[in-house]
Amino acid sequence: MNQAAKVQDAKGPLVWLDMDQKALDDAYDQLVYAPNRDQVHKRNMFNSDRVRARLGAPKRVAYGPTAMEQLDIFATTKPNAPINVFIHGGAWRTRAAKDYAFMAEAYVRAGAHWIALDFDGVENTKGDLLPMADQVRRAVAWVYNNAKSFGGDPNRIHVSGQSSGAHLAGCVVTTDWKDYGVPSDIVKGALLCSGMYDLKPVRLSKRSDYVAFTDESEEKLSSQRRLDRLNCPLIVSYGTFETPEFQRQNREFAEAVKQAGKPVTLLVGDGYNHFEMAEMIGNPLSLLGAAMLEQMKL
Amino acid sequence: MAMQDQSPTRRTVLSHAVAGAAVIASGAASAQPAPAARVKGPLVWLDMDQQALDDAYDQAVYAPNAPQLHKRRQDKCKEVRARLGEPRRLAYGPTPVEMLDIYTTKKPNAPINVFIHGGAWRAGEAWEFCDAAELFVHAGAHFVVPDFIDVIAAGGSLMPMAEQVRRAVAWVHKNAASFGGDPSRIFISGRSSGAHLAGTTLIADWKEFGAPADVIKGALLSSGMYDLKPVRLSKRGAYVKFTDAMEDALSTQRHLTRINCPVIVAHGTYETPEFQRQTRDFAAALKAAGKPVTLLTGHYNHFEMPETLQNPYGLLGRAVLEQMKLTAQG
Repeated sequence: MNQAAKVQDAKGPLVWLDMDQKALDDAYDQLVYAPNRDQVHKRNMFNSDRVRARLGAPKRVAYGPTAMEQLDIFATTKPNAPINVFIHGGAWRTRAAKDYAFMAEAYVRAGAHWIALDFDGVENTKGDLLPMADQVRRAVAWVYNNAKSFGGDPNRIHVSGQSSGAHLAGCVVTTDWKDYGVPSDIVKGALLCSGMYDLKPVRLSKRSDYVAFTDESEEKLSSQRRLDRLNCPLIVSYGTFETPEFQRQNREFAEAVKQAGKPVTLLVGDGYNHFEMAEMIGNPLSLLGAAMLEQMKL
Repeated sequence: MAMQDQSPTRRTVLSHAVAGAAVIASGAASAQPAPAARVKGPLVWLDMDQQALDDAYDQAVYAPNAPQLHKRRQDKCKEVRARLGEPRRLAYGPTPVEMLDIYTTKKPNAPINVFIHGGAWRAGEAWEFCDAAELFVHAGAHFVVPDFIDVIAAGGSLMPMAEQVRRAVAWVHKNAASFGGDPSRIFISGRSSGAHLAGTTLIADWKEFGAPADVIKGALLSSGMYDLKPVRLSKRGAYVKFTDAMEDALSTQRHLTRINCPVIVAHGTYETPEFQRQTRDFAAALKAAGKPVTLLTGHYNHFEMPETLQNPYGLLGRAVLEQMKLTAQG
């Protein structure tokens, strides 16, 4: 359904910008704007199987003590190679690292390791996003500390994420790394695709039904409010068929990063919806794949 | 010329067809009253009545995002030309439409992929089908996209289109060396009605065109048609003036003995029932005839499938590179 086709019910009181509750809820519900969600997910899984068939199963390693804290490493054959750490989306509650292996081949063939993280869904954390942010940060620190064990260069770690994974990746690039015992410039660049960087409107939307936002989590995990800690170049992107809020979040975040005097590139996928944007990350000849490889100097 | 037709009437057909299909599928008298509920008519092809067959040859009914994808492809083509530069545009025949675009690779004596565009035989131009050019050029192959007459300009006949496409292939063979191409490594690809036309190049009598019988070394046929009978029975018969001779001469599936190269056929599982069946049956017929064939399917609709040719690790992209013995980086 596109915006023009949406039913014009009587508009209720505004809850965020020019949106009433229904409009805001819809703006945080991808299915309303991307009716092919399940189809794209099916082909992500199908294409991930094909990539595993060609590259072999990834090395699966624990980065933390709980069963969920594992990551998949698709290794390149180049020695001391750069590393891309991908954080998957799924509205913080669904999807897994294995569903995104379809992206791996573009990076592995170009001479980089490609790593996908597993981490808890918000339903396993009593609705709290803070443990999830901590997990992905610990995973990145683990990659730094263990890069040499799989032929990776700890000084060339890049992060990518999509949707709620781009939210978490935004948290990663605004981390106080002292807490994790690693250098503050551990991440050399990031691709944030279709993410959220200010959690206030998300908190006002129906996503609060399953995410137990608090003032603390909203403040700590709104990376747009933590730009002082950002110290690597960012690629921020959204598609023109995404929801109004997902377009605005990325547009405004890129603008805020620019205003803060930090390096940022905003890429707009003309004609792409939320899930089709992610597919481009696995295509080296597409808007996002080409930009990520260029950022990694591959 | 305009892109694939997207007239408002087709959008209307979409909603009606979906509503109608739901009613028929449910078979329940107590089903919600649907505005476009209809009674199934006499069967005209397999288990399809006229409406179902017409819908099965109308992509818009099964690919509601077609306008989005058309624009996306055109945008991509503009970006590709901005990066690769304008193609060399050369005449392969005497009439103004008989021109082809060549996106050249830097590698010497490189293999060539000739791409035949779709558009229901009546729409589309070469410039808006270069979206996959970078895949080939970066991998070390030339990418050639011919223009050819459309069925309306041809008075409803598909024969001039098939003839032009064959002449374009013969021209590429004869002139390959002039642009650094290897005439002994010509591959063909096509999608939709272009896959139909590419299919007919595989059954050409190349003696008539001054080219060797094995001029084509491999083919990628995505979402095509290989038996024209059901197409003729569908509403496409309103603008294609099928004859018995045309139907027979251009139904590739009836001339399999002439095929002498490996063929990759592909369809999306979100395509119309007929576009899935045509490809499936053609693949089975090739296999039964002992010809080398690979059938690929993925969770794509008719217009999403060709986007996978833009990606060296996509369904079609990796298949065509493998067929041409190329890798993404060349």
